Amino acid sequence: MFYRISGQFKTDYRSDHALFRVRQDAVLMGIILLFAWVIFPFTANEFVFQALLIPVLIYSLAALGLNILTGYAGQLSLGTGAFMGVGAYACYKLVTIFPEMNLLVAIGLSGFFAAAVGVAFGLPSLRIKGFYLAIATLAAQFFLVWLFEKWAWLYNYNASGAIQVPTIDMFGIRVAGPTASSFVQYYFVLFVVTIMTIFAINITRGHIGRTWKAVRDMDIAAELVGINLLRSKLIAFAVSSYIVGVSGALFVFLWRGAAEPNLFDIPLSFRVLFIAIIGGLGSILGNYLGAILIVALPVILNILPEMVGLEINAAVVEHLNIMIIGALIIAVLIIEPHGLARFWAIIREKLIMWPFPH
Amino acid sequence: MADTIQSSPWTDDGIDPGAVLLNVDNISLSFGGVKAISDISFDVCKGEIRAIIGPNGAGKTSMLNVINGFYQPQEGTIMFRGKERRSMKPHQAVGQGIARTFQNVALFKGMSTLDNIMAGRSVMMKRNLFWQLLWHGPALNEEIEHREKVEEIIDFLEIKHIRRTPVGNLPYGLQKRVELGRALAMEPSLLLLDEPMAGMNLEEKEDMSRFVLDVNQQFGTTIALIEHDMGVVMDLSDRVVVLDYGKKIADGTPDEVRNNQDVIDAYLGVPH
Ligand SMILES: Nc1ncnc2c1ncn2[C@@H]1O[C@H](COP(=O)(O)OP(=O)(O)O)[C@@H](O)[C@H]1O
Ligand SMILES: [Mg+2]
Repeated sequence: MFYRISGQFKTDYRSDHALFRVRQDAVLMGIILLFAWVIFPFTANEFVFQALLIPVLIYSLAALGLNILTGYAGQLSLGTGAFMGVGAYACYKLVTIFPEMNLLVAIGLSGFFAAAVGVAFGLPSLRIKGFYLAIATLAAQFFLVWLFEKWAWLYNYNASGAIQVPTIDMFGIRVAGPTASSFVQYYFVLFVVTIMTIFAINITRGHIGRTWKAVRDMDIAAELVGINLLRSKLIAFAVSSYIVGVSGALFVFLWRGAAEPNLFDIPLSFRVLFIAIIGGLGSILGNYLGAILIVALPVILNILPEMVGLEINAAVVEHLNIMIIGALIIAVLIIEPHGLARFWAIIREKLIMWPFPH
Repeated sequence: MADTIQSSPWTDDGIDPGAVLLNVDNISLSFGGVKAISDISFDVCKGEIRAIIGPNGAGKTSMLNVINGFYQPQEGTIMFRGKERRSMKPHQAVGQGIARTFQNVALFKGMSTLDNIMAGRSVMMKRNLFWQLLWHGPALNEEIEHREKVEEIIDFLEIKHIRRTPVGNLPYGLQKRVELGRALAMEPSLLLLDEPMAGMNLEEKEDMSRFVLDVNQQFGTTIALIEHDMGVVMDLSDRVVVLDYGKKIADGTPDEVRNNQDVIDAYLGVPH
């Protein structure tokens, strides 16, 4: 009886594996892409590029990397900031040792350094779990930042101990350095983030993504269906750290322009972790929603009083801001612990039913 | 390892029907001072349904854990498909064609029914990271190929309507069925079922009994089954081995076992 239906369902299963099984989703995605690729860059001013668009994209990517490890594979990491640092320092060494190297290539390669370091620190994950693993990643965090500080070769023995992004051209266009235009840098970042997101979507919907989720949900059962736990976890560490490393290279080369070791310290790790949690663990979309809330919203709230003509002391605005964002985070976590992505899923569900509630 | 499954249809494991598929020889297992299994031997023949019964704590689950490599026995050997061993890792047992379900459902709670059963085919899915990143092409083709098999199992177990439901939201009886589906997806030559009907109502038990029989008859899958419900055991099984306090007290056809005085005593002495 097992072969009777094979073949005739084939086209069905293929369309069943399509990214958007509902046409409206595809339309919505098209609109988002239109905004990201055309409308935003052609309407944004310098401030919007530098304070909103570029950082939101880069933080989203970092959170995406962390989400692969924590949300999909179930391995908590508190060392994201340091792994961003590995990507940034690797990129710095690559472009200073090989000045001719295309920046896209350099950033793509720096991810591999982060991946290698990630795998090394992921090795204990077979033996230790949960909070204990989190502590191990915290050790990685401290060790790496210490290394960024003490290993002078990493910052080419600069007296300042910081890395400074050199001026870099790509195909005759300035992409990095103090004189690069935000417009170009935005597209550069958007391109990398788009590619990484496509990869992340593909891998999480395939069988490697399924083994991650299986290990996350019940590792013993995963082992007993033949999943090699160590292998599955190490692939997660590698892929996650790769993406995080790339985001770190973008962070410094396409946005900050310079970096000191402590930039990659715990506050950065926690910021990215917040984005992933608020956005929704185990979701791709959530990372973007989380970054908008954590990175963009404070900036918008800061300039809002001025925009509507309110005269409020800057310090007061700052404090109000922290309170509003803090309250929002807590509200989100209370109402929907699975994050903003789940909010969206519920709204979408309602829209599909509408106007016929069942 | 995985190739052994892939290259052979699931009824064909190189063992003739009726010949010994699994032989458990003088196995002893203890945890610290607790002797869970003492010197037990029995065999499972190709194509049969072999029941393992006994009061709570008799060592039944421990026996399955030894067979699929989850526990390492201190003494004795296990011969499966002609290969002898003391112990092996669980994923090696999987590679040789042993699948199982658990006394307490062990599903991937956050995943859908479909994904849970697809996970049963993990060992057979070979497309590496590179192809997964591209998705379209070989990775998708592989996914669809296995999806077809999985849909057949979903059809067979009559769980089409819950295909996309996260299994954590399903009632217990359906979860047990999904777990059977995941084990079937591994195309095992030996299927170990640990109390597949525990906690079910009569109707669910009848459904599950029917599935177990159908799996055995249609796919020729050999089954070792732990069950408490005597009626079910007598109806389903070809042969029964009875354990009590970690020892084997009887072994034979359902009728032989039912009339064995040791068995009657064990069951009267220990309420279950
Ligand atoms: N992992 C373990 N650690 C310690 N003792 C165990 C373990 N697993 C089983 N046992 C003990 O082994 C004996 C048999 O248990 P088990 O195999 O679960 O029995 P059954 O499945 O027949 O009810 C019990 O006394 C139990 O407490
Ligand atoms: Mg038991």
